[in-house]
Amino acid sequence: MIDSVSGPIPTVGRDGATREPGGGGPAPLLQVRGLSKRFGGVRALKGVDLDILAGEVHGLVGANGAGKSTLIRLLAGVYRPDAGSIVVDGEPVTIVDPQHASGIGLNFIHQELNLVPKFNAIENMTLGLPKASRLGLITWGPIRRQADEVARRLGADFPLDIPVEDLSVANQWLISIGRALIRKARLIAMDEPTASLSAEEAGRLFQIIRELGSDGIAILYVSHRLDEIMDLCDRVTVFKDGVRVLHADRAAMTKGGLVRAIVGSDVAPASWAGAPDQGSPVVLETRHLGRGSVVRDVSLQLHAGEVLGLAGLVGAGRSELARLIFGADRADTGTILLDGAPWRPAGPHDAFARGIGFIPEERRSQGLILQKDVSFNINLADLQPLRYAPAIPLISLSRAARRAKEIAQELQIKAPRVTTPVIELSGGNQQKVVIGKWLTRHPRVLILDEPSRGVDVGARAEIHRSIKELAAGGVGAIVISSEVEELPGLCDRVLVMVEGRVAGELTGREITKEAILQLSYAHGQGASTES
Amino acid sequence: MTTAQTSDSVQGGMAAGDRRRYAFAFVGRYGTLLGMVLMIAVFSIAAPDAFPTLSNATNILNQASLTAIIAGGLTVALIVGEMDLSIGYVASFSGVLVTGFMVDQGVPWPLAILTVLVIGASIGAVSGLVITKLRVNSVIATLGVGTVVVGINYAYAGGVPVASGVPKAFLDIALGRWVVGIPNNIIFMFVTLALVWVLINRTDLGQRIQAVGGNPEAARLSGIRVDRIKILALVVTGISSAITGILLASLIGSGTTSAADGYLLMSFAGCYLGSATLRDGEFHIVGTFIGVLIVAIGFNGLAILGAPTFWQYVFQGAILILAVGLSTVARRFSKA
Repeated sequence: MIDSVSGPIPTVGRDGATREPGGGGPAPLLQVRGLSKRFGGVRALKGVDLDILAGEVHGLVGANGAGKSTLIRLLAGVYRPDAGSIVVDGEPVTIVDPQHASGIGLNFIHQELNLVPKFNAIENMTLGLPKASRLGLITWGPIRRQADEVARRLGADFPLDIPVEDLSVANQWLISIGRALIRKARLIAMDEPTASLSAEEAGRLFQIIRELGSDGIAILYVSHRLDEIMDLCDRVTVFKDGVRVLHADRAAMTKGGLVRAIVGSDVAPASWAGAPDQGSPVVLETRHLGRGSVVRDVSLQLHAGEVLGLAGLVGAGRSELARLIFGADRADTGTILLDGAPWRPAGPHDAFARGIGFIPEERRSQGLILQKDVSFNINLADLQPLRYAPAIPLISLSRAARRAKEIAQELQIKAPRVTTPVIELSGGNQQKVVIGKWLTRHPRVLILDEPSRGVDVGARAEIHRSIKELAAGGVGAIVISSEVEELPGLCDRVLVMVEGRVAGELTGREITKEAILQLSYAHGQGASTES
Repeated sequence: MTTAQTSDSVQGGMAAGDRRRYAFAFVGRYGTLLGMVLMIAVFSIAAPDAFPTLSNATNILNQASLTAIIAGGLTVALIVGEMDLSIGYVASFSGVLVTGFMVDQGVPWPLAILTVLVIGASIGAVSGLVITKLRVNSVIATLGVGTVVVGINYAYAGGVPVASGVPKAFLDIALGRWVVGIPNNIIFMFVTLALVWVLINRTDLGQRIQAVGGNPEAARLSGIRVDRIKILALVVTGISSAITGILLASLIGSGTTSAADGYLLMSFAGCYLGSATLRDGEFHIVGTFIGVLIVAIGFNGLAILGAPTFWQYVFQGAILILAVGLSTVARRFSKA
């Protein structure tokens, strides 16, 4: 933190060649110089530079809180910069609002997509655009033709006239891109585009991105997934603590180099800890568990002290299975056994009372009370011990703060104080708060749904370490992840789900990215989303 | 690890946009307090003999007391994220019932009070059940329940005030001054508000109420029984409505069919003003007390200045709109 406060910005590509666009090559579409932004006491951006050329795919990476989102919001006109300039086509611009940004060709697709769920694809693509009308009624003909053309360009094979909420996330992404294309976008910034996509869908998206590039549209690709960045991007920019710390051409990009730039140090790759203790008792078992067509005939055993991975493509039924176990949904068929005894969860509170913890996929909307502070959130799941005496329903705030501090220390939660609202923390630290909430309960089973989604490399390693420590303490952990890189090294055993069924099991050293992918795709094409 | 991280970057110049944001946040948090001070100043200058006196201050607190009690209960419902529009009707019904029980049924006054408190709690529970089990929006649910309560009120008393024969012991509750010269209602107000404050901030139920209000889904996935918490919150609101109704009956010496209906708007104004006080649009008990006080000062000042009745309605409507507006703005700026 200290060393990066000011000073010259190291921007040289590691091949030594400072690539100065404009000096001979094509003039950059977008030139950002010395952009700074401060929020209260936090300097989110400290004078960053960025050039984006027409038709390039430009990767932007950095830990949570490094300033990526701030840059994007400045470009989108959501915030105004405190200092620095934004130049589009050689013209300095002051972007006043998102409408204006879109008018000069800058379009933004955020992780949460901002589509109107009840509107169809056409309505969503043309949302907010002036529409031709006759006698006050919109004439949909020309609009429809325009949308059809964009859909064809994107290879969209879904109906354009059904509500987008009935479409897969991948198709919603296509609609969001379509929305940018209809606005004649020259730069499309994409925030974690593959976070909710299966590998197959992501592949399709990459192809579209490359085609857009050859049409001269620049892509600013923001992602934590370095493999994708390496694969896709022509150039990459790394932010750390509001400063540009690396700027590299494709030739100069290495994964290790990116990680070093992001973290500021090397992160040792996680390695498999050792043989899972299959002799330990089974804490949780499901027999032929099923619900509709999303979870079918799932039988699994979870041992105490084991980290069990659930792999599979998006829509394979992993989260749905977790919800059945946690009692958030009810199973149609099959049984759950807890410590060998049949159990039918009456709801999350029942699962909770029996020592099953659940860390949901959407931490902000499902895991946290954002306005409340760290201590409030951590203590929420287990308030009883905070009482002055068991029979008196008064709780001690100092006891709450003490426990929150212990857990914050244990999980290395970086927050100024335990009275800081969690909304002010970075994604990784928010996730640690959610995990910390369950540490107070000493659960026997902990289900983690996408525990490191949208979390930077360093925080991910710390989260993984916490999961392993929990398991070492006797907790049976179930980890759901859509990132195949995440499970090897973390899990003792992995079940791969396809179309609601368990398609295969991998143990110990068998758990590799390739093996997981192979099993995921072993059962034909239709394995992904359409439900 | 937890302390040293971010302190190094706090100091330094402040950008123009931030300054404006801080200005807004300041107005949001302290604007209502400034408004209160301003009102006191204006009324003190306009009526130097009548307004800024100790006896008038006591008078204002006394006038605020019943509103504050019902608003304290309403705050709990608002914190848990639900509206309760039945509070005024429940309070009126409670006044009619408590006097009716004593006068017509000959129930001893302590038992009458206890019974009415239980009935108030039950009405809250019914509203809570309708909201959580039938999934009816709380505005509609409590409007419906409140209207049914009005109906039962008429069925019970026929719309005629229960006036004569109220025991003196009961009248003494609100009219008495058990603690040196302070009207009892003021004591009841502070006791009730203190209890609700402790409930919200220092009990596990209160933590759960805040969690459910903050994010029901996260609360549910943290093992909290959201429906149960919501019902309990509305039970608290029902009890506080009953307390206000009982104290009003004791104060005016009769149970009148719609005597307490007007507390609905005043307590909403108080709660929303309070949510924009000291916090960014978050409902809290201290704020509610200040909000109710502002409303009471306004009424008192207008009455002292001899403003015609219609002004009181204009004031009441305007302050309600202002309160909700301020609260919404405060919330927006806290997020920006």
